[in-house]
Amino acid sequence: MGVNTMDQAAVTRVKEAIAERTNGALLSATQPHADTLRFVIDKTAMRAAVLALVDKLQARFLISVGTDERPLTGNFAILHLFSLDREQLYVLLESFVSEQDPKIESITEIIPGANWAEREYRDAIGVHPDGHPDPRRLLLADDWPEGMFPLRKDFPYNYQPPPSENARPQMREPPAGASVIPIGPFFPVLEEPADWRLFVEGETIVGCDTRIFYNHRGIEKLGDSVLTYNEIPYLAERICGICGFIHSTCYCQALEKAAGIDVPRRARYIRTIMLELERIHSHLLWLGIAGHIIGFDTVLMQTWRIREPVMWLCEEISGNRKTYGMNTCGGLRRDLPDQIKPRLFETLAEVEKEVIALRNAVIGDTTLHARTRGVGVLTNEWAKKICAVGPPARASGVAIDARIDHPYAAYDEVPPRIATQEAGDTWARVLVRVAELLDSIRLVREALSAMPPGPICAEIKEEIPPDRVGVSVVEAPRGEAVHFVQTGGDNRPYRWRVRAPTYPNLQAMPAMVAGANIADVPITLGSLDPCFSCTERLETVDRRTREVRVYSSAELLEMSRKKARGGGVR
Amino acid sequence: MTAGLIKIFLLCLLNAAAALFLSPLFEGIMRKLRAGIHSRIGPPITQPYWDLLKLLGKEDLGSTGGAVYAAMPAITLGSVLLLAALVPMGGPAPLAFAGDLIVVLYVATMSSVLIMLIGFASASPYASIGGSREMMMLLSVEPILAIALVTGAFKAKTLALGGIVDWQVQNGPSISMAIAGVAFFLALQAVAGKLPFDMAEADQEIMGGSLVEQSGPRLALLRWAMWAKQLVFAFLLVEVFFPWPHFGTYLADLLATTVKVLVVLVLVMVIDVVNPRLRIDQAMGYFMRVGVSSLAALAFAVIGK
Repeated sequence: MGVNTMDQAAVTRVKEAIAERTNGALLSATQPHADTLRFVIDKTAMRAAVLALVDKLQARFLISVGTDERPLTGNFAILHLFSLDREQLYVLLESFVSEQDPKIESITEIIPGANWAEREYRDAIGVHPDGHPDPRRLLLADDWPEGMFPLRKDFPYNYQPPPSENARPQMREPPAGASVIPIGPFFPVLEEPADWRLFVEGETIVGCDTRIFYNHRGIEKLGDSVLTYNEIPYLAERICGICGFIHSTCYCQALEKAAGIDVPRRARYIRTIMLELERIHSHLLWLGIAGHIIGFDTVLMQTWRIREPVMWLCEEISGNRKTYGMNTCGGLRRDLPDQIKPRLFETLAEVEKEVIALRNAVIGDTTLHARTRGVGVLTNEWAKKICAVGPPARASGVAIDARIDHPYAAYDEVPPRIATQEAGDTWARVLVRVAELLDSIRLVREALSAMPPGPICAEIKEEIPPDRVGVSVVEAPRGEAVHFVQTGGDNRPYRWRVRAPTYPNLQAMPAMVAGANIADVPITLGSLDPCFSCTERLETVDRRTREVRVYSSAELLEMSRKKARGGGVR
Repeated sequence: MTAGLIKIFLLCLLNAAAALFLSPLFEGIMRKLRAGIHSRIGPPITQPYWDLLKLLGKEDLGSTGGAVYAAMPAITLGSVLLLAALVPMGGPAPLAFAGDLIVVLYVATMSSVLIMLIGFASASPYASIGGSREMMMLLSVEPILAIALVTGAFKAKTLALGGIVDWQVQNGPSISMAIAGVAFFLALQAVAGKLPFDMAEADQEIMGGSLVEQSGPRLALLRWAMWAKQLVFAFLLVEVFFPWPHFGTYLADLLATTVKVLVVLVLVMVIDVVNPRLRIDQAMGYFMRVGVSSLAALAFAVIGK
């Protein structure tokens, strides 16, 4: 199953490297799939094994998975997932951690990009990464009680902790002499709540701190406690409002791999077409928003006008502009009727024409250059260290693309052309995305022409066996999405792990703004009130009595809840 | 004597009223144009009037206090109306006197200084960034306006705006005044707060800058002041630097001037629509270059071209 040009020598090389460095701590080495190697090692040898992978084999860290396997083995399992891009291999390094001593060596010192992943398994199942440079809370809300780990199997999915007062994130203090400019938690050009605190010295950013995960919805917990295999694609599709199909495809592929389901060729082609259509409308959306952020609303209006027919195409194919609900385990629920092909080609030609016109207008715009060239530089070295993915990585000269490194769907037959740039600045990222936009149009066209007839969904006769693992990556418009599925009983995964592309890319942000010249932020901001964005309390004055009344945050919360409830009844 | 004063007073009122009640219309036309280039239908051209009406009727949240602070928007609008009385708008300036050029230069900066002060008086960090950006823009643009007008004064050998206009009408175009006019036009883009120079407001960066804490009637007055300002400055540009054709009859001249003002504002809007926002350092560098180039106007004036 799957597409892979397996290189047996590479497999041997990986096995030897790990066995050599772990010095007898290697407990087992298996190959669950042709492209997946799984090593179980003693937890004391984790760093050594990771070093072997990173130093000797240039492995790229994907994500860590923390699983509560106490019902199965009596231990927690910590699994670090790596990709060997050139060899088209996934490597799983797994260690067991006992409940009595819930600690494991941190690997963030070796791989800076593992920072959040390690904090996340600590928050979720309570295994502490020993020696982590920044062990602050990441995933859980600030008012979540200590010592409660939501991804443990004995933790109910619908538990509501008691409300707490005055919870606030642990933020770093600015360096001496620097002042803080808050961007967020709510800010006009941020689509989601994210709290960035920029430390500014004169006109230069000297550092920044961030608190995100305000939107955490507990999706992984639902996946392994409430939903079944075939319900999860619809939830996965709702992980993202733009690249929903990417996540449902990625989940389905991981499960199909774990369960050994062979997806029909036609379904693979339709998946490819939908994925590329998503890239087209996502890149157009991004270009527009990027224009809007620097005040170039003409670009916003024009790109979104060009984008609209693509949305109509998606609606014609799936019934929805977004959130298509087409994916299911084993293939698709809905075919792409041949009679709409001519209209697809027609719209694509139109969109292509307009995108080329847009590209020519954008590329020659000197004011645009002034705002993007040399701005937010991500160096090639740091891009690799922080494990950046997608256009940010490719714009920094890291030639990785999940469609090429781990071919899925029909990308083996309609291969993409990878677009890279070396500069690593915002302009380079614009160029990469514009190139991908045009390549995606070509891919949809080629996939439409080459699409074979046949069934669109594999028949699944037997129950999916437990304790199988499957890893899948999908190149989303923002970069590579990773899904990991470990099958369980009860017709649902034992563990489903999702890593969105923004997860590693956001971690590159501090390095990208460090030392940046923000001539627009003057030193007068020393007068900044650090409590500016916290609505911790509100003061009101009664006009008649001149009486001052101070509402606490709890009262305000209660008032707003009352109002919300009132609105609901109406 | 008294009759003369009353006449001047009435003419001042007329200019102020024109600035007040025509500026939303010009803003509406500019919005419509922007919408056209965006492939949008856009709001009706009367929309700015409705915006003002709506804002005037809304609650003033008064998030930052102080009586002087509260009065600032009205003073800002007042300063622009005073400028309108000093500037010829289709006819001679009502408040014309020997040396009024100096007064015009001072009054022209008042609104920017006031908006800057509003920013600094506000408790919001975004407003103080906006205030400081406003200040930097003022410092970059003001010399250009001064050089351009002084070129006119040098050519006409008078410090009265009316005298410069008369000289222009009699002597026709000259190289120095053409250069000065172009420099003034480039500065107008920043004076009007239009892209690529709207960084003092920059919604996406600092959420409106100085205006972030303004609401209701106060916001209405500030918006109104900005619209009136761009209109008055467009009149100033057209009257001083491009006064031809001069018909000598009041109505024909008024019509010609208004059409030219419309053309100027349309150009301002087209530049606005096809540009992203510059960073403040880039804008300052740009105006530095414009300022140095505009010195050429003075040089040409000295050699009599």
